[in-house]
Amino acid sequence: MRKVTTIFWPVLAGIVFLLLWQLQVFHFLLHIQIRQLPLPSAMIETLIDNWQTLLLYSMYTLAEATLGMLIGSAIGFLLAVIATVFPKWGYGGLIFVTALNAVPIIALAPIMNLWFGDGLGSRAAVVTITTMAAMALNAYRGLNDLKPYALDLMKSYAANESVVFRCLRLPNCLPNVITALKINTTASMIGAIVSEFFYSSRGLGYMLSNSVKIAKMSMGWACIILSAILGILLYSIVRLIEKHAIKWHVSQRI
Amino acid sequence: MKKGRVVVILVWAILFVVLWESVSWSLIHLFHDPMADSKLPYLHKVIAALFSQGNVLLRESFVTLLNSAFGFVLGAVVGILLAILMSASRTIEEISFPYLILSQMIPVLGLAPIVYGIVHDEIASRIIISGYITFFPVSINMLGSLKSVEKEKRELLYAYATKPISVYTKLFLPASLPGLFSGLKIAAPLSVTAAILVELMGAQHGIGVLILRNLYYGPAQSSAFWASVLVSALLGILSFELIVLAERICLPWKASLAHEGGDGK
Amino acid sequence: MSVSEIEIKDVSAVFQPDEKGITALSNVSLDIDKGEFVSLLGPSGCGKTTLLRIIADLLEPTSGTVIVEGKTSREIRLEQKYGIVFQNPVLYDWRRVKHNIALPLELLGVKKQERKERVDKLLELVGLQKFKNHYPWQLSGGMQQRVAIARALATEPEILLMDEPFSALDEFSRERLNDELLHIWQKTNNTVVFVTHSIAESVFLSDRVCVLSPHPGRVSAIVDINLPRPRRNEMRNTPEFFELVTKIRNSFEGV
Repeated sequence: MRKVTTIFWPVLAGIVFLLLWQLQVFHFLLHIQIRQLPLPSAMIETLIDNWQTLLLYSMYTLAEATLGMLIGSAIGFLLAVIATVFPKWGYGGLIFVTALNAVPIIALAPIMNLWFGDGLGSRAAVVTITTMAAMALNAYRGLNDLKPYALDLMKSYAANESVVFRCLRLPNCLPNVITALKINTTASMIGAIVSEFFYSSRGLGYMLSNSVKIAKMSMGWACIILSAILGILLYSIVRLIEKHAIKWHVSQRI
Repeated sequence: MKKGRVVVILVWAILFVVLWESVSWSLIHLFHDPMADSKLPYLHKVIAALFSQGNVLLRESFVTLLNSAFGFVLGAVVGILLAILMSASRTIEEISFPYLILSQMIPVLGLAPIVYGIVHDEIASRIIISGYITFFPVSINMLGSLKSVEKEKRELLYAYATKPISVYTKLFLPASLPGLFSGLKIAAPLSVTAAILVELMGAQHGIGVLILRNLYYGPAQSSAFWASVLVSALLGILSFELIVLAERICLPWKASLAHEGGDGK
Repeated sequence: MSVSEIEIKDVSAVFQPDEKGITALSNVSLDIDKGEFVSLLGPSGCGKTTLLRIIADLLEPTSGTVIVEGKTSREIRLEQKYGIVFQNPVLYDWRRVKHNIALPLELLGVKKQERKERVDKLLELVGLQKFKNHYPWQLSGGMQQRVAIARALATEPEILLMDEPFSALDEFSRERLNDELLHIWQKTNNTVVFVTHSIAESVFLSDRVCVLSPHPGRVSAIVDINLPRPRRNEMRNTPEFFELVTKIRNSFEGV
């Protein structure tokens, strides 16, 4: 019974919202024109009319985001492992990656463009940098925040460091890694799209900023809708992995 | 900070500087890269530019910080109200939660051109975007704190027949502060980034404008460009540390929790 | 004939996690006199905490009534007539010790100056004057529980309800706090309903012990503790004490 209401109310609210939009209630309240804020029907129309280009661009942007996310997560994880295995000196790597995370995407884009040229590579590089920190910090916490006495138990079995790592730290950090992946899916889409604002000639971000520049708002919104869908897709994939990888975890119990 | 930590950080910093300078050097002398100065100018040149442009950098940083602060405060207020509403009413929570998550699937920074296209006002759009990027982490984190208040703390007040509004002021609000500050810490650097992005799309003032200008002046100004990028990163860190400071002031009882020992579990 | 302070009549509590339902309490009756110290004793599942919560109006019985001084437990709660101590101290982390104790007084609307005076007296009562400006995390578990007791006594309630307040402590702290509780009680003279799973504790503290057995929760025996007051820790070693403990242990059913 609860499940029905959990779905019913949000869906109802969503439908009401879309209806109000289509009937231009928001336009009236906020004094804006249709050309500034297109109607949902116009957006859908644009989506359908241009589906081929949009699909192609979506794949392009998705590729940048996924590639960057995978590489960034891998590097982040590696840094966390180094910081765990060499506690005293490895910590610097974490500080470095945190500081790097503070550099706004917008500044990264031109720099990466210089280094990697105009292609997919430079955008993937931006995404890599933006996804490193979340994974590094979360993985580090997962590798090192062990339950009390867990290490003592291992010691009582005279386990050496690599066994401890394999049998205790790695499984323990899985939930944290999944959390970081969830954070990174949204971050990678944002990174890919924003870096496409500059210097790109393909992709959803490029299409977005271009359309807005020539006042083709419906197209811009179509891009936003598509990128949201892609984001949800990536997130759902991570959720699927989560269900299988950490069946045992508290968060997976009802 | 412990002495050992200081030494480690110092060593890493020195290594970092050495690495930077050697890469810059090799770009010029080993690879004979014509774009070397833009790709990775010498660190000392960047530092020099930092000082020579000091005034401008400071002034524009202040503008950016101020603008993002307005949006940040706005977003935080909305986030707080939303969290309180969601904790008070199951229905509101059920309706809002999926849309909250959905709002984060939309690349927020991607909305920037659209918002700017509608509003055409650089200050308003900066505030709106900063606010948008702030309210989600704030409301989610604060909601988390509100929901994890132990049942017995509530029962205590129930045993004293406390009025609902007092339950909020005496229990829920103070208990939600740690979560609130977690959210604020996440949102602060994000809102700075958002403000800078909007600046890049055509504004008169702010560090983003400076970055853009230095970029278009070409290779000759690359140190200045890097200097302004560095400053923008520092702005993000600064906003984070400001929140940490505020937390220490507002929650004197929490910072101490970190030092729990002995009887603490 | 003295009217009992608390009259528990035929109270039953049935929880329904599935179709069968769990009978936590089945037709429990008990009369408690004014100023008495009564323990509810039993293993887990016997319903002792459930019974206490029904008295506190934190839970509604499926059937039966609880009358306190002629009023229902709800009325008593709304009039803020009882103090309650839980198994965990349940102190608010963001309030100093003195403000934690003052909480019920704030809720009662007591003015600031009077609050301060009453809190100071309570701190003296539980022996924590030196710690009044500390935060809860700075205190040991036993000390935190003493703060909780002081807080429960703040409104000078007729009735004090205690749900295994010392279970989380080690044996030594526990015995010490038993002793202190009796000292405090001598001065405040409330009616105390004390839930515990320790036979020795119930014998040491109470005037009467109400023994509850589980599945379903019911009263197996009510044992009078005729040890003289004031009680001393040395009494724990006497044959009379041992006899009472044995008598109680033998009265459990179905454990």
